Amino acid sequence: MIATRKGSVGLLYMAPALLFVLVFVVVPFVQLVQTSFTDASLLGGGGFVGLENFTRAFADPTFQRALWFTARYTIIITPILMGLGFALALLTAPNRPLEQLTRGIVFLPVVIGLGSSSLLWFWLFDQQVGLINRFLVDIHLLAQPMVWFTKADLVMWAVIISVTWKVVGFGMILFVAAIQSINTEITEAAMIDGAGPWQRVWSILLPLTRRTILLATLISAIGSMLAFDQFYIMSGGGPRGQTFTAVYWIYQQSFISFKLGYGAALSLILTAIILFFSAIQVFLSNRSPGND
Amino acid sequence: MHLPKVMGFAALALGTSVFATLPALSAETLSIWVRASGANAAQHLVDLWNSGHDDKLELTVIPDNQMVTKLATGVQAGEVPDLISFDLIYMPDFMKAGFLEDLTADLKDDPNYAGVAQAYKDIATYEDKIYGAGFTPDVSILVWNKDLFRQAGLDPEKGPETVQQLHEYATKIHALGDDIYGFYFSGACPGCNIFTTSPMMVAGGAKILPANPGDEPLQGDAIKTVLTEFKAMWDEGLVPESAEADTGTNFVANFSTGKLGIQGAGGFLISDLKANAPNIDFGVGFLPGVEPGQHSAFVGGDVIAIPKGSKHADLAKQFIKWELTDEAQLEGLAKNNILPSRPALADNKYFAEEPRVVTTAKALGIGYVPWVFHFNDMVNSDSSPWIQMLQTAIFDGDIDGAIATAKDAMKQIASN
Repeated sequence: MIATRKGSVGLLYMAPALLFVLVFVVVPFVQLVQTSFTDASLLGGGGFVGLENFTRAFADPTFQRALWFTARYTIIITPILMGLGFALALLTAPNRPLEQLTRGIVFLPVVIGLGSSSLLWFWLFDQQVGLINRFLVDIHLLAQPMVWFTKADLVMWAVIISVTWKVVGFGMILFVAAIQSINTEITEAAMIDGAGPWQRVWSILLPLTRRTILLATLISAIGSMLAFDQFYIMSGGGPRGQTFTAVYWIYQQSFISFKLGYGAALSLILTAIILFFSAIQVFLSNRSPGND
Repeated sequence: MHLPKVMGFAALALGTSVFATLPALSAETLSIWVRASGANAAQHLVDLWNSGHDDKLELTVIPDNQMVTKLATGVQAGEVPDLISFDLIYMPDFMKAGFLEDLTADLKDDPNYAGVAQAYKDIATYEDKIYGAGFTPDVSILVWNKDLFRQAGLDPEKGPETVQQLHEYATKIHALGDDIYGFYFSGACPGCNIFTTSPMMVAGGAKILPANPGDEPLQGDAIKTVLTEFKAMWDEGLVPESAEADTGTNFVANFSTGKLGIQGAGGFLISDLKANAPNIDFGVGFLPGVEPGQHSAFVGGDVIAIPKGSKHADLAKQFIKWELTDEAQLEGLAKNNILPSRPALADNKYFAEEPRVVTTAKALGIGYVPWVFHFNDMVNSDSSPWIQMLQTAIFDGDIDGAIATAKDAMKQIASN
């Protein structure tokens, strides 16, 4: 009886959150699934077409290319963000004024919108007015200003540079918090035993921050697999549609070509892929030290 | 004792005030959505209307790339404005979807509507019914830098008459210096090229897009001729290298540097250059075809229509009829250096001192707009057959293959 009353009270406390999840997560997701089985257009209509959208998606060369491009982008940028973020965290973890100031400066771009920062970098890479070309010419690395957006790989690297500038501070802050939470007695003991800086990082800091690293990697990988703004602004999917990311292609199909049903099916496929990789990472995270 | 008299005065005052405010009480406020790129022109028309009418218009500016989504969701949710001004190219899709009010009875016999540029009348007609009218026009033209023409020994008052001559002029201009280019187009911008490159093909007698399933797209030798000349200019370095990747961001920026000879652009460039690059002496003409005397233009800009569900449809119709009158076209648009949608009004007192604007206004009369469903898939999308054809032909050099592939893709899209 008491347990039941406690359960009812608990449910009451949870009700607002449950309602929120129901209205803003469950219902839209159910609608998305429903739409994916129709030929719904942005302009109306939408009859049941069964699995047609899904079979079409798996045969869609642009979607396949977009998925592969997204995967390459994710595979390249994630280690960069993690490695650089961790290195910056090592350098700025001590709570001294200089390190605190550096942390603040590195974190600053995180608060800028991704759209704004992409636009900023788009102009920085511009052939005629961009400061990057001017700098590279001035230090004689380039003979003349180059067009950065004519090759897919160059576009990707330009985007990677801009996104790294924008979000590396986020990973750094997570890692700083993780490093600072390690009991200093452990590192002091290691120092007394004669462990050098690299040994302390490799044998103490990395293992003890492994869960944070996995979490940050998961967040970063999901963010990269959902990349849209940076490519929309900096490359427009070009050259020749070679830098369409998966989300960009979904946007194109849903809102430019008006194919809502097909866009919904593409979204579900992407969701399934992300869930699959997230599950692997969560599994790894659960097996990491500290969870036994 | 004086009460009845006081009350009489009060009643009289109250009655007077009621009658005085009657027109205001019956006046309505109409909502109009306009896309951002046409907002300036629309604002002038709205201001002029509001200054002379009890019923007022309230303008809401919608970002260009959100207009279709907003209207589509608005119509389906029953929350629409009374009037809407949008990119004319969506007209066929909207008319077919049943989004718009039929205006045939109001416009069919209207003498002002009869004078509207044919391209606007074509694009706003579906199954013999009229669903909209020209509102804030734009049209493509050819611009050239007169100083560079003089330096290259060309007549600065005459632009190239054919696309072959354009190539010849561009060669002479590029010979002035390595950092001076003869011609420009935005190679990764499908919209810019349908606006400026397709009219050269159409002027040469080509048909670009299929209006209905079964129509044969990309018909006519002029398509190959134009692509061949563009490829040659690209191969010869007459076009800046940055053109290949330009998604439209630098569509007209190069011309304003003064180091570019010739390019297709929109009428908007005239006021842009006068305001931002006043030192550039430039000429304006019609886009050429493949034979002398062949000209065309892409008529763009916005149409105005009434979405289904408008709460003040009758008043909205009055506004559409009014915006086609001489008063609106001249005092609302031409007075503010904006093109009227009736080409016959090109020669007006406001344009008298700027013959380049007169030329642009006349281009509306000779221009075309493709009447086609799925325009986005065929043209505007970054992976459309239209832009892929241009890129494969010009940058890769496979002209016949590019045309054949695009033809198949367009037919496939038209059949959906």
